[in-house]
Amino acid sequence: MSASPPAAPGPDGAIIRLDHVSRVYQVGESEVRALDDVSMAIRPGEFVAIMGPSGSGKSTMLNVLGCLDSPTSGSYRLAGEAVESLSEDRLAEVRQKRIGFIFQAYHLVGRMTAARNVELPLIFAGVEPALRRERAQRALASVGLARRITHRPDQLSGGERQRVAIARALVMEPSILLADEPTGNLDTRAGEEIVALLERVNRDGLTLVLVTHDPRVAAHAARALRMRDGRIVED
Amino acid sequence: MRRNDLVQLAWETLRLHRLRTGLTLAAIAIGVTAVLVLTALGDAAKAFVVREFAGVGSNLVIVVPGRVETSGGMPAMGGTTRDLTLEDTDAIAHQAGTVRRVAPFSLGSGTIEYEGRSRDVRVVGSTSNFLEVRKLTLSGGQFLPPGDPRQGEPVVVLGQKVARELFQGQNPLGQLVRVAEWRLRVIGVLGAKGVSIGIDYDDLVIVPVSVDMKMFNQTGLFRIMVEAVSPESVPVALGQVREILMRRHDDEEDFTLITQDAMLKTFGSVIDALTAGLAGIAAISLAVAGIGIMNVMLVSVSERTGEVGLLKALGARRRQILDVFLAEALMLSSGGALIGVAAGVAVIGIAAAIWTNIPLRPSLGWILLVMTLAVIAGVSFGLMPARRASALPAADALRGRS
Repeated sequence: MSASPPAAPGPDGAIIRLDHVSRVYQVGESEVRALDDVSMAIRPGEFVAIMGPSGSGKSTMLNVLGCLDSPTSGSYRLAGEAVESLSEDRLAEVRQKRIGFIFQAYHLVGRMTAARNVELPLIFAGVEPALRRERAQRALASVGLARRITHRPDQLSGGERQRVAIARALVMEPSILLADEPTGNLDTRAGEEIVALLERVNRDGLTLVLVTHDPRVAAHAARALRMRDGRIVED
Repeated sequence: MRRNDLVQLAWETLRLHRLRTGLTLAAIAIGVTAVLVLTALGDAAKAFVVREFAGVGSNLVIVVPGRVETSGGMPAMGGTTRDLTLEDTDAIAHQAGTVRRVAPFSLGSGTIEYEGRSRDVRVVGSTSNFLEVRKLTLSGGQFLPPGDPRQGEPVVVLGQKVARELFQGQNPLGQLVRVAEWRLRVIGVLGAKGVSIGIDYDDLVIVPVSVDMKMFNQTGLFRIMVEAVSPESVPVALGQVREILMRRHDDEEDFTLITQDAMLKTFGSVIDALTAGLAGIAAISLAVAGIGIMNVMLVSVSERTGEVGLLKALGARRRQILDVFLAEALMLSSGGALIGVAAGVAVIGIAAAIWTNIPLRPSLGWILLVMTLAVIAGVSFGLMPARRASALPAADALRGRS
């Protein structure tokens, strides 16, 4: 395992900085500008909600921030590092060490227990089994699932599944947590629990960027970005 | 990423899709079994022929009257074919330095009678040397006595089956039988030998060569059997026999010399071609199994697009995702190969138990070769789907688009 890149913010104090970033898809004959000349910065430890109607570019924004998608033009600096110049393997390494993902549909692997799902990132990072198990159990305990480690996803409620996913996102101790509609598949109460959990994690120092439709969820964030047609229309 | 983790990840997937895994394993196993069984059949055919001709004796040179050859021109231009005679036999015995024994061989067929029972048999005429030259055994009594081949006594040695059928359990030794109207005394019975180069040694009788030639009014011998002192001296013996006979036959090669080596070479190459053909057919079934793996892997990749996206989001490198899918292909193909080898060995074992006279057995060489081939096929057919999986763009894959 190579040394972890420094999690320190860039020289300007921002952990995330987008400068004139565009992401253009070619759909048949026409171009879709999912991100259109977006500039913004997020400081370490911030809790930012991104809101906007469907097709406004929220998910593309999150994919770009998470290094799952690359900007067509513009510059993205993550902790001071220009992401667009990185190789595919370096991007994978950045995702592995810096970023935790949470999805609306949880994206748990159905054939694996909760513990093994949480272990997955550690497996690909080459962490040895004994240490892996210990870290996975600690992560599950921190989201209140210490007694659910041998359950498979189909034996868990929606809220519990999302908490397994959060444990998995946290197990590599990232500096940024990216959540795409984390409460979208949950009822109100389970959704509130998840938001409370995310808030707690944010208070512990993690930068949290959360995409949501739900104004009540966004209300928890210190900062809300509103997007429309690939642009940030409100900050 | 650790190797154990790779194996475990692959194992989890294969176990989840039991039916698909089972069918793929079966496809590979059948391919491997086919290769093993068909090549074993080819090898057995070859071993069978070798064993048959080994009964001839590796030291043996057989002299056949007439020229067995298709040369240009009219056959009659070569002059007349002289008979092989007892004098020829003597000449070879006395003049060829590398020859240990020579046995004349005349052949007729007639009826043997004893107390009202009769049987049509081949009647072989030879000398005392015939026993060793043809590697025969006796189950009772004695063989033809040594002495001048021209002064044969009226005696006969019976083949195993002839003795059994004609005497129905009575002791034939010392009894008088009638062979082609000649009264002969039974002095011995042969041990079981079976068929060797087209002659059933259990169903014939052997008499002194002079008796046989008179009995059937023959002027020439059917064969002269020459035994060289060792297998290595066969080529030299061949030359000496040819030279001696040509000198006696006015410098004409109006006879043909046959050796076990020459026969084995002819049959061996025919059977090698047969085995290659069988192996080729079997290889096709292995290739079909490989395409089966590719098919399964492609389905697996498109089914697990979301999972590939997830792994990428969690920081899996392209190479690691390739490895996960390749590990599956490798486990499928090597597992299938192992099952196929076990099934093949079992089938060959059962067949060998049923057809005991065919030397069927699995060969380690073919097993190793076919297992290597199966694994190579599995990995190379699994490579394309694995590449496709690892090359999926992460963001698209997460949304389940391939």
